[in-house]
Amino acid sequence: MTDRVIPIRLMGSMPASAPRPVAPPPLALYVHVPWCVRKCPYCDFNSHPQRGPLPEGPFLAALIAALEAALPDIWGRRVVSLFIGGGTPSLLSPQAVDGLLAAVRARLSCAPGMEITLEANPGTVEAARFAGFRAAGVNRLSLGVQSFADGQLRALGRIHDGDGARRALAIARKVFDRVNVDLMYALPGQTPELALADVETALAFDPTHLSCYELTIEPNTAFAHQPPALPDEDCAADIHDAIESRLLAAGWEHYEVSAYARPGHACTHNLNYWRFGDYLGIGPGAHSKLTMPDGIRRALRHPHPDAYLSRAGKSDFLQSQHRVPAEDLPVEFMLNALRLADGFEFELFEARTGLPFATLQSDLEGFAAQGLITLNEGRVRPTARGFRLANTMLAALLDRRHQQP
Amino acid sequence: MRYIRNFSIIAHIDHGKSTLADRLIQRCGGLSEREMSSQVLDSMDLERERGITIKAQTAALRYDARDGQTYRLNLIDTPGHVDFSYEVSRSLAACEGALLVVDASQGVEAQTVANCYTAIEQGVEVVPVLNKIDLPSADPDRARAEIEDVIGIDASAAILASAKTGEGVDDILEAVIARIPSPVGDPNAPLKALIIDSWFDNYVGVVMLVRVMDGSMRPKDRILLMSSGAQHLCEQVGVFTPKSAPCDRLSAGEVGFIISGIKELASAKVGDTVTLADRPATTPLAGFKEIKPQVFAGLYPTEVNQYDALRDALEKLRLNDASLRFEPEVSQALGFGFRCGFLGLLHMEIVQERLEREYDMDLVTTAPTVVYEVLLREGSVVRVENPAKLPDPSKVDEIREPIIRATVFVPQDYVGAVITLCELKRGSQHNMSYHGRQVQLVYDIPMSEVVIDFFDRLKSVSRGYASLDYEFLEYRPADVVKLDVLINGDRVDALSVIVHRASSQYRGRGLVTRMRELIPRQMFDVAIQAAIGSHIIARETVKAMRKNVLAKCYGGDISRKKKLLEKQKAGKKRMKQIGNVEVPQEAFLAVLRVEDN
Repeated sequence: MTDRVIPIRLMGSMPASAPRPVAPPPLALYVHVPWCVRKCPYCDFNSHPQRGPLPEGPFLAALIAALEAALPDIWGRRVVSLFIGGGTPSLLSPQAVDGLLAAVRARLSCAPGMEITLEANPGTVEAARFAGFRAAGVNRLSLGVQSFADGQLRALGRIHDGDGARRALAIARKVFDRVNVDLMYALPGQTPELALADVETALAFDPTHLSCYELTIEPNTAFAHQPPALPDEDCAADIHDAIESRLLAAGWEHYEVSAYARPGHACTHNLNYWRFGDYLGIGPGAHSKLTMPDGIRRALRHPHPDAYLSRAGKSDFLQSQHRVPAEDLPVEFMLNALRLADGFEFELFEARTGLPFATLQSDLEGFAAQGLITLNEGRVRPTARGFRLANTMLAALLDRRHQQP
Repeated sequence: MRYIRNFSIIAHIDHGKSTLADRLIQRCGGLSEREMSSQVLDSMDLERERGITIKAQTAALRYDARDGQTYRLNLIDTPGHVDFSYEVSRSLAACEGALLVVDASQGVEAQTVANCYTAIEQGVEVVPVLNKIDLPSADPDRARAEIEDVIGIDASAAILASAKTGEGVDDILEAVIARIPSPVGDPNAPLKALIIDSWFDNYVGVVMLVRVMDGSMRPKDRILLMSSGAQHLCEQVGVFTPKSAPCDRLSAGEVGFIISGIKELASAKVGDTVTLADRPATTPLAGFKEIKPQVFAGLYPTEVNQYDALRDALEKLRLNDASLRFEPEVSQALGFGFRCGFLGLLHMEIVQERLEREYDMDLVTTAPTVVYEVLLREGSVVRVENPAKLPDPSKVDEIREPIIRATVFVPQDYVGAVITLCELKRGSQHNMSYHGRQVQLVYDIPMSEVVIDFFDRLKSVSRGYASLDYEFLEYRPADVVKLDVLINGDRVDALSVIVHRASSQYRGRGLVTRMRELIPRQMFDVAIQAAIGSHIIARETVKAMRKNVLAKCYGGDISRKKKLLEKQKAGKKRMKQIGNVEVPQEAFLAVLRVEDN
């Protein structure tokens, strides 16, 4: 009998040892609260209509169990921000939020004065509740206003009206120093003037941050089944440009595709995503990205609240996890970093991915030649055009990845 | 021969032909229902795995009749679409009788009528069957009246049946025996066998389904194909039951298969006569025609390096599709590809779909065109299958276009709309007659108009009730011009179309408008122009893209965004790069989607 040699093939073009980032990047913590009063027709997030009172006790216990199970992966690392998103996290009682934050502080080293954001819905606002969140340690509130126009809010299936939004914003502003307002634009029948009216109303309350999202129809949503008549591509672009000029004129910074901030008030937590930082996500359907000694690992928790609660603390509480292959890293990095108005430093790419900057060089030079980015002083920065056409660049990178043997 | 009956089933799509055929096979199988279904299906699956195309409805059945005799009933399948009317006529030529199956709730349709006329012309006995009488909406009396009125045959003895419940199946079989004549033919005369159908089997080569008219044949005979004079050694003969069952001889009156080591399907032409080399028949059977493609289109791989793969795929398809024609073609815009000829639009769609599904090809198809005859000033006539190859107008004396004779059956309510449509399509009325609630319209229409969107429009103006049948009539002089499309100033040969001068302005405008909708926005402005000669008649601009970055990118969930990008990438696969402009495949067919005014 002869010996058979079974050749070992490595995945794709991945070298025998995967690239290893030099030092672990900053780490953020994300907590997902999966319940909503009802599901909005445009929403494709992991949210579930709430039936009866929230199971706060088991939920909190599950979150803590997940956190503890993850501790060995993030041992010794300091958390730079915490974001409680959803769903509608403001459905939680202040006591539950207090319990959660206390549990986090007890188990993790948190940066002093770190940003702790809670998402809230104008339909679920009471002044006492907000004060309770504030007292628990939440220092930034993100309010899902979407619009101040009653007709638009109805079309979007929101549970609040324009007055409700204004009232909620007034309370939020009184209780919190840092307030973000989520607005949607390119709504059915919307003109640049109508969109600007929403922005003006928001500005009147003096928030520190504005997120302006173009309404897009996502698969598996009510809107995907019965699409509303949206403004055309040009009108959407006009609205985008109008909002941008209005806010720049008011001294705001347009620091990311959908994010505007008063100077010094950019969202630390989201910036960490865009700069390809690490994050640990707990709660149903939460995503994690952690830089480990063997490469970058992504994981997803069971999305359905019931499945999540029943599996919390057990070994199979992750729905999936995988190590990101080296050839995927440039696209994944750029998918995030190209969203930033300031772009990124050459070194950031190397530090975060462990790959040499030369990997990107020829593509970037091509983009620069098309006037989509500039390459100056060790920094990749999108031009005004490139800032709007990031997908063109990402598609080209994706193409290249597929051409590699 | 007294105990043989050869018959086929004429029916409109959905009127229950297959179900009835299955019932007849089942009834004559002498097996229990359960055994029957599992056995037949199993053997068919096996055959399919081996790559044999079985005609499930072509079956030699044994039937023990009420008169105590055992009969051999040969059920011969007929294809059901207007593109294949020649094959239908050959199938019918092999029969002495036909069951005319009419849905008792729907009534007579154009396709049925056309096939039924073919049958009557060939002297085939037509036995009307009213199917689906179990439906609450069934109206046998009206259907019967319609058959008499439209087709002009006596339907008083029409058999009421339901293929679904099995009702009336025995009556049908008895009627086949009683009303359809047994075949006549001289078993001792020189062999004459009609090729009803032929297909390619990976193991045995070409299989020919034949009806023996005169004489007989057995394995080891040398056979002669009369249209080509080619000789082959007969290896096997047999019948389909519907499984293939070899036998030692096929004689006059019988239907069966011949395997004789033929490698090329094109050598076993449907309608040809098979005879014996040693003792040939003096004349072939009448009615043989070389099938000529009527519709041509260019097929190009989206990726240049797929040219060889496309050629291989086309060659494999041709193994089993003798009517498919193709030859290499070079387009400045699309590179290397093939100009393919099809029997009709359905045939073209089938080929395209098989190439994409079975051979995983990404194709760009140019707009289908008919064949024009061009009389040059110097006196010769050329056939033009590609609009880009239309000779320079200064050299042309006359251009002739093919005209078809279209027969439309439509309920009275929609006659006005159908007439309007036919007139719009430059049709001239040949005949119009009323048959109960149905109207028969016969129009002579330029085939180029039918190729475009006639059938879809006909269905839409009649809410799906109109049915169409057509045949080629003749070539007639036509005042047509070549309409070119320019993208960013460059003429794109693959987008040229031949249109009537009278409608050229409006077609040009419609075409560029449509293309503007189909070509996605790019990184720069794209100008689309329509031109006749050097004269630009229409222009549209696809403005440069302004924004494509996603607004939302949420909570570290990168998978969704990546999926979206992958999807966009998949969409791009169906694009063809022309200059630096990406043109989607639909844009090459835009001319088919230009609405008439």
